[in-house]
Amino acid sequence: MSEPIIKVRGLHKYFGPLHVIKGVDLDVMPQEVVVIIGPSGAGKSTFLRCLNFLEEPSAGTVEIDGVEIKARESGREHRRLIQEIRQKAGMVFQQFNLFPHMTVLGNIIEAPITVKKMPRDQAIAKAEELLEWVGLLHKRDEYPSRLSGGQQQRVAIARALAMDPKIMLFDEPTSALDPELIGEVVEVMERLANEGMTMVVVTHEIHFARDVADRVIFMDEGVWAEMAPPEQIFTNPKEERTRQFLAHIL
Amino acid sequence: MSTLRSSTLHPGSRAMRLLCLLVALTAGLSLLYAVQYYLGSPLRLAVTSEIHDLALSPTHHLVAAAAQDGMVRLWDMDADWKMYTLTGHTGPVTSVAFDASGPTLFSAGSDGKVYLWDIPTILPAGPSNAQPVKALEASTSPLRDLSLTPDGSLLATLGDDHIIRVWDVETGEVIQTIGPNEHTRHAVALSPDGTLVAADDANHIQMWDAHSGEPRQRLEGQWENEEEQENWLGHEKEVTALAFSPDGAYLASGSAEGTTLIWDVEQGQLAWETKGHLGAVSEVAFDASGEYLISSGGDNMVRRWKVTGGKFAGLFKGHLGSVSGVAAGPDENTILSSGVDGSVRLWEVVNNQELHLEWTKLGLMPIWGKVFVIWMLGSGLLGLLLAWGLWRVRTWSYLGSLAMYTIGPLFAVVLPMLETIAYPITWSTRLHIAWPLACLFVWYYFLVLYLRNDAIAIPYQAPDAESLAQRLMAAQQTRNIRQGLFVLATWFLIFILLFSVLRRFGLDIAFMRKWLPFIMGGAGLTMFVSAMAILLATVLALVGALGRLAKNPVINGISGFYVSLIRGTPLLVQIFIWFLALPQIGITLKPVTAGILALGVNYGAYMTEIFRAGIQAIGIGQYEAAHALGMSSSQTFRRIVLPQAFRIVIPPIGNEFIAMMKDSALVSMITVQELTFRAQKLGRQNFRNLETFLIAAAFYWILTIVFQFFQSKLEAYMARGERR
Repeated sequence: MSEPIIKVRGLHKYFGPLHVIKGVDLDVMPQEVVVIIGPSGAGKSTFLRCLNFLEEPSAGTVEIDGVEIKARESGREHRRLIQEIRQKAGMVFQQFNLFPHMTVLGNIIEAPITVKKMPRDQAIAKAEELLEWVGLLHKRDEYPSRLSGGQQQRVAIARALAMDPKIMLFDEPTSALDPELIGEVVEVMERLANEGMTMVVVTHEIHFARDVADRVIFMDEGVWAEMAPPEQIFTNPKEERTRQFLAHIL
Repeated sequence: MSTLRSSTLHPGSRAMRLLCLLVALTAGLSLLYAVQYYLGSPLRLAVTSEIHDLALSPTHHLVAAAAQDGMVRLWDMDADWKMYTLTGHTGPVTSVAFDASGPTLFSAGSDGKVYLWDIPTILPAGPSNAQPVKALEASTSPLRDLSLTPDGSLLATLGDDHIIRVWDVETGEVIQTIGPNEHTRHAVALSPDGTLVAADDANHIQMWDAHSGEPRQRLEGQWENEEEQENWLGHEKEVTALAFSPDGAYLASGSAEGTTLIWDVEQGQLAWETKGHLGAVSEVAFDASGEYLISSGGDNMVRRWKVTGGKFAGLFKGHLGSVSGVAAGPDENTILSSGVDGSVRLWEVVNNQELHLEWTKLGLMPIWGKVFVIWMLGSGLLGLLLAWGLWRVRTWSYLGSLAMYTIGPLFAVVLPMLETIAYPITWSTRLHIAWPLACLFVWYYFLVLYLRNDAIAIPYQAPDAESLAQRLMAAQQTRNIRQGLFVLATWFLIFILLFSVLRRFGLDIAFMRKWLPFIMGGAGLTMFVSAMAILLATVLALVGALGRLAKNPVINGISGFYVSLIRGTPLLVQIFIWFLALPQIGITLKPVTAGILALGVNYGAYMTEIFRAGIQAIGIGQYEAAHALGMSSSQTFRRIVLPQAFRIVIPPIGNEFIAMMKDSALVSMITVQELTFRAQKLGRQNFRNLETFLIAAAFYWILTIVFQFFQSKLEAYMARGERR
């Protein structure tokens, strides 16, 4: 078996006096889909955001695709490494965070052109390909405000994919959606998983976790309370807290 | 059938009957007005027309007056002051004179024409339909003054083109043209023997040989004590009136400062000086014997002086406005005067008493008069028809009344206002002014009711269900349109009222029209200064906002200091510092540069806060999304944050720009020749501040409206990503 593409060691995160993540380790293999579930306030989102340094970890190391960064460092080299990791890890947000002043196409080609210095026509060709893939090519010239939540999230996924990431991080991608719009986003995520993308997903979508995930982590109070394949964690959880949480949401 | 809508105007109600009565009443008044226009020509309900000049015939029983409404008024004193109106001029009449032969009446008008009227043929023909026997015309430039030799062979005219023309009356040819001289503006006089022609030249008087046009004596003031420059003997301000004594030995002149001087023509020297008028002297005249001089002034007074010695010999008060013309009366003991109040008065010298008073009855300009009377006739008939329709509850009568409302005010109020300026407030005047206003009120009241209760006369029918939604939508749309119409009508009414009031106080439209282009010339500079300043302000504000948001204490401190200092001091003081104080430390700026810098730096400080707020309004999510895509901080700021911040600050910047356009008036203080500066300069020079500042204000307003329009377009464009 190959090397893990994500390696997290001894990750801690404090918000002031608040100890949010209490020293967790994680290895994710290429093409693996890891789903993190847990009660709110458990530190799931914070952990995910520590992976691409949107939150600076308080201690520990993060290594993604061979680029290793230690927490609490600074300086030019540190910033360069963060940039590098961010290009390898695409991220999808709960609130979509599309750029409202750009069209759908503009949103997607923005980063490839400014960051990767990709020629414009090439970026457009790739963007159109991705839009086709998420089924929104006909919305190419619309502004985000004219799209439904589900459509916006699919554009956000296409935008992240335009940077050719090695891994994809999903931060509660369906939580801000109306129930009838969740399906279309989940369907895109499933296809992405089937095409072999490495994914770390924080979600409350138990169906997605059960059907797509290779591994499910139940996080509580800043640590991995339980980590197991989905069939095991959903049918026969070992921990009492996991059992209670699942009873609550299922 | 049930009625959902309750209306005070339902058919047969008391309000409805009252309304019918009112409409019928106004219609009846219109008819009355039209009918009496033909019966009594001109109108009996007298509003008066301003008089500019006065003349007494050599036979001593006719008085002629030059009136603003374009008609010459002629009174026959022997026939109990029977009035004749002579129509022909297409603009205000400015000057009149009689000659001895005939006699013939000469009238000069601002249409540039001199008409000759043959009195013996006019008097038997009756009070109307007089035709001029001859017209003299050399240019279309308005004529200011006219002077005639007593025998009527030579005529001199002065026009607004500053050219003096001497005419041979017999042939109707111009025999001499003098000028133009831009300081010759008010008066021209021919000596009784027809050899000399005199005219004003600023505060001096120049005389020429009337036939050859060669310059002759020049009557100039001088210092009594040349070295100390003490006691000026002469006019201080421009000469406004001139008259030769009957024997031609003396020339009297009146001036804008109120003095009247009597010059010895032969010597070319000042003989006597008289002082008394508190306003500009409008006309001077000698009596038949040449012993007394009469003068009229802007102080509403007529004064009489003994020529020899210049001693005061009588004061005559009674005119309600400036006195515009004087003449010796039909006998030695009387004086005639005319005023802008539209009156001609006969005074008794001995007791300083008013013997007789005549008003010029309102005359509408010939063209407008016809339109007006036709309108009155038409609206009267239509009004009766409408009243009948209202009584019988017919829908068309409502629509008709609405139409009447929209056109009515224009004719009923604006036309009379345009035609008359000053008038004495008498009961007949009040009536005259009151009735169009009464019509207007009725129509306005009617419109309000009509808008409140649509189609009141149509009986209510229950709609079938499927068309209800459509009808509700249509009704909403109609209501909106009506609301808009109503607002427009209100604006229109305010404009008319404002205009009428200003007009009543002597707003000089001709002056405004003449100087409009000059003041307008400043609008370009106003816009240039504002545009350059807003560009500078935008750049400063962006830099300032970045500074305010910066973590670096030095940068933060500098921008904080800038904002605090500039916002804490008055803009006017800053303008003076840029222009007046900086030269002291060796930096001299041109007025325009200083103005742009002062405005730009000042508004930059205010806009810094706007930009800061705009940048801070961008959510953290946008930063995170950009960072997660690998964009650096500067890329994120340039590509993601700034464009969105701009969109947020565009409306307030637009507001700032509009505010700045108005604040740019302050740079007139440092001699930048923009709108306000020009208005101020022109207003001071001509004592026409009301007119010039009204023009300037109108321009600022128009500019503001135009930019608000563009700003709303820009906002719509910038907001294209927004959810609507």
